[in-house]
Amino acid sequence: MGSRASTLLREEEIEEIKKETGFSHSQITRLYSRFTSLDKGENGTLSREDFQRIPELAINPLGDRIINAFFPEGEDQVNFRGFMRTLAHFRPIEDNEKNKNPTASEPLNSRSNKLLFAFRLYDLDRDDKISRDELLQVLRMMVGVNISDEQLGSIADRTIQEADTNGDSCISFQEFIKASLVEKLCETCF
Amino acid sequence: MPPKRKNHLVIDIENVGMDVDADFDSESEDATRRRSRNRKAKPQRKARQVSDEEEEDEDEDKSPKRRGQRRRTKSRGDEDEDEDNGQQSVANKRSKASRRRGAKNSRKEQSDEEDESDKESKQKRGRAVSKKSKEEQNNEKKEKDKGKNGDNKNNKKKKAEKNSSPVSSDDSDEESEEMSEGELEALKEQVEEKKKLIATIRNKPWRMQKRLSVLKEAQDFVERFEGALGKGKGRRLYAFKVMMTKKLIKFNRDFENFKTACIPWEMKIKEVESHFGSSVASYFIFLRWMYGLNLILFGFMFGLVVMPEVLMGLPYGSIPRKTVPRSDQATEMDLSVLLDFGGYCQYSVLFYGYYNSDRTIGVLKFRLPLSYLLTSVGIFGYSLLVVIRMMARNADVGGDGGDDADFTFSWKMFTSWDYLIGNPETADNKYASITTSFKESIVDEQENQKDENIHLRRFCRVSANVLILCSLGGSGYLIYYVVKRSQDFAKMDPSSLSWFEKNEVEFVMSLLGLVCPPLFESIAELEDYHPRIALKWQLGRIFALFLGNLYTFLFALFDEVNGKLEEELSIKNSSEWALSQYYANYSAFYNTTVVPPPNVSPADVIRGPCWETAVGQEFVKLTVSDVEVTFLTILIGDFVRAFIVRFLNYCWCWDLEAGFPSYGEFDISGNVLGLVFNQGMIWMGAFYAPGLIGINVLRLLTSMYFQCWAVMACNVPHERVFKASKSNNFYMGLLLLVLFLSILPVIYTIMTMPPSFDCGPFSGQQKMYDVVMETINQDLPAFMGTIFSYASNPGLIMPAVLLMVLAIYYLNTVSKAYQQANADLKKKMKTARDDEKNRRNNKDSTNQMMKDLEELLPNKSLLPPPFEEDTPSETVSVKNSKQTKTKPGPTGKGVNVEKEVSLAAPNPRRPVTQAPVQRAGPPMNARGAHAEPGRGRGRGGPPRR
Repeated sequence: MGSRASTLLREEEIEEIKKETGFSHSQITRLYSRFTSLDKGENGTLSREDFQRIPELAINPLGDRIINAFFPEGEDQVNFRGFMRTLAHFRPIEDNEKNKNPTASEPLNSRSNKLLFAFRLYDLDRDDKISRDELLQVLRMMVGVNISDEQLGSIADRTIQEADTNGDSCISFQEFIKASLVEKLCETCF
Repeated sequence: MPPKRKNHLVIDIENVGMDVDADFDSESEDATRRRSRNRKAKPQRKARQVSDEEEEDEDEDKSPKRRGQRRRTKSRGDEDEDEDNGQQSVANKRSKASRRRGAKNSRKEQSDEEDESDKESKQKRGRAVSKKSKEEQNNEKKEKDKGKNGDNKNNKKKKAEKNSSPVSSDDSDEESEEMSEGELEALKEQVEEKKKLIATIRNKPWRMQKRLSVLKEAQDFVERFEGALGKGKGRRLYAFKVMMTKKLIKFNRDFENFKTACIPWEMKIKEVESHFGSSVASYFIFLRWMYGLNLILFGFMFGLVVMPEVLMGLPYGSIPRKTVPRSDQATEMDLSVLLDFGGYCQYSVLFYGYYNSDRTIGVLKFRLPLSYLLTSVGIFGYSLLVVIRMMARNADVGGDGGDDADFTFSWKMFTSWDYLIGNPETADNKYASITTSFKESIVDEQENQKDENIHLRRFCRVSANVLILCSLGGSGYLIYYVVKRSQDFAKMDPSSLSWFEKNEVEFVMSLLGLVCPPLFESIAELEDYHPRIALKWQLGRIFALFLGNLYTFLFALFDEVNGKLEEELSIKNSSEWALSQYYANYSAFYNTTVVPPPNVSPADVIRGPCWETAVGQEFVKLTVSDVEVTFLTILIGDFVRAFIVRFLNYCWCWDLEAGFPSYGEFDISGNVLGLVFNQGMIWMGAFYAPGLIGINVLRLLTSMYFQCWAVMACNVPHERVFKASKSNNFYMGLLLLVLFLSILPVIYTIMTMPPSFDCGPFSGQQKMYDVVMETINQDLPAFMGTIFSYASNPGLIMPAVLLMVLAIYYLNTVSKAYQQANADLKKKMKTARDDEKNRRNNKDSTNQMMKDLEELLPNKSLLPPPFEEDTPSETVSVKNSKQTKTKPGPTGKGVNVEKEVSLAAPNPRRPVTQAPVQRAGPPMNARGAHAEPGRGRGRGGPPRR
């Protein structure tokens, strides 16, 4: 672990990140080198443009949404801590980790936090509800101009109709989870 | 690391009858870590230390007292072992399931713990201090109890024993760095105890939640340290095992990837699928499957029949059947003759006639005639087996293609993108496929919501069927007429016939194949079925058309064969007569009985027409012409058309792309049926022309590439892209039918027709299957012959058939029952879901009339009208509190989903049948008015949290 990246990263910082996110030491150093290689401005933070250089995100229709998830509300830069905090959502769930210390705050990679992360991808205005307009926007990202607006509208309506259980024409986080998406999402996204 | 200590505590406390919460172990753990940190520096021993010392802090003060007990503990441990032997197996089984994961975790945690221990050392206070951080109320009590337990441990022998073991291990640790005997013993004992606990957990009078947590920890412990037991070697072995499991997982994953990469044309098909939808892709998958099947059949035929004859049989030109006759030798290599599979081809290994009738060939004594017959029959058997197995396997994939899931759109919406895609080209395909799948769903949805004039629809469908029946009858008659005419032509001198007259049958059949499918398709427009169902109808109709073709073709063939048989008989007689003349003359002339065989060149020998080869030729010709027609159709119908439309569009008076000719759509039904019937030809013809399968393999190979290219280059996606049924069992069903139909004529010829006397492997036999009889009689031991003669006895066959029929009937009934049960369950699930949904939707009174009615109820009427809005929320909150009272959740996390349902249950209203858009107004209002129930719902929370 005497790599170049780890020299830039102070030990205490690693400890803190480790505590917060649950990544191991080597994972953190590896991610840090990745972080620095992405950081073209070399100012210790990543901008949206930096993320867009990742090919997987550039071609992903929801790439913008994922990139957004890295940035706290109203900010344009993300430092390594924030970067790691977001990445921690993608850490696989470990079973005994949960009951090891139930009183502590839930780890970032818990199932519900993962789901919340996925939910946020669709919840553009962060009001904890996916509205029809938000669905339409996402649909537009995913299918481009190949399907008419009218049909997209009906798709969005149908989606809401399927998932909405309390009749407010929006998909709340609870409904999002209930919509049998749990298993499917977990296998596709994480 | 969840320690063993906790369990003891738990047990103790249980004994005292206290309620224990799951998390008080963390303190002891903390303390343990701190301690271990202080004492030892060797990280690799961490695991053991943790386990050992978890327990020590409690016992520290008492340790001197208990050292004396150490010896007793050991003996005790042995006893325990004996006791546990029976239970161990259970425990092992359980722990094995999660061993892999546990192993991984343990490593990670060990390192984690090390790092965290600094922090934890700050909390180096008595247990009581940290206890306070717990929110549970009974923690205090617990602690007291613990102390109590510690004091009067003499009462509890069991506990004392347990406690003693860690102490002893501590001592030994201090004595030496190596893993000592006692320590090992202790560890072993702990593992045993855990195992015991796992085995007996059922009997403990605890709450389920706690039992689960205890069980999990015990299992983890056992997993982690079972392998570490034993000395250094054992530990290394354990580490090695863990590493190997990791490697194995990685290897398995790589291997899966490799396997996927090895599936031929997978990328091509996926590409087509993403642009044209699963229906078109289903054709290509079917084509690929066919290719695989044919490859195997080709392997059989080539390996067991063709290769032996080529390698070990007599060479070309050695005997008459392997020589082109003198009269044909002038034109034997002419291209026109070869294209008709005459001349040299006719006397090659491709056809039946080439094979010699020697019982055995070569040094291996290979029984070629027997092999020929068995392989031909075996091909049918294998094909039947494979097709039926495929159908059965597809059946449990299930579904007629429509998604029966309730969240079709939600799933598509939220989960369709594959986040692992990193290749722009793949991303393009994924875009296309997402779009396509949405379109497919839209079509399905439209179909579900369609409701029109049912009478008009019925009329249209009936008239469409009448029209199609008429055209089918017409084409049938046309074929019949043409075949009859061709038989007349056959009797005339071939040189006086024009080209058209010679090829009339093929021409008419190809024409019908070209004209009828589009005709049917346009008639089917009348019916207005869902495209998936329409495709099935279309397939069925074209199948009927082709069936007519096939059977007229076969009858024509049989006429021809009968003619050939007569001709053959006369030739046979004349040649026998000539031979006997020769012998008589020779013996008379030289006055000797030793007559050498006539010295005639094989090319000059008089020979019969060899009807089998003629039939084989017909099949090969048909197959080849079929290929030509298919490829030409694609070239002209798709490629040239697309070319013209694309490039003439610049200088044309109307828009070619959007207007009349446009681009072609991929004709699924025609292509599938073409494939199926072609396969039928192969099955039938393989007996008469062993080389036919090889030709077919080539054809499938080229058509795979050619059609993939053509569909991507020249076709446009269907206007109504529809989702193909997941199981292409319909194709398979057609294939099975064709297979069955093609078995009939072949078996008929094998069992009843006399083989040609001078060509093919069965020449000289009365019937073809005599080869089998001959083998049984001559080469197998005598009792086998008797067994076979018994087995072929009608008295045995009839009951066997009866038995099979009964078995089929039974299995059929059983499967029906299962289907019924399945459907019932599905229905139940759906109603349960709908129920829940409706209840939730109607929790707040959205229906004004119901609200009014409710006000009339006696208990509600007491409330003043202005508060009407608040009544539901009040009742809800009351119920809410009541429920929390009746079942006080120790976790205090509020009501979960089940409770919520019951909360809504007493208030059932009219089920919602409207679309959400229309519903959008009132619920919003209702929700706005009653913040309380909304929050209650929110608190319901995800069940998993």
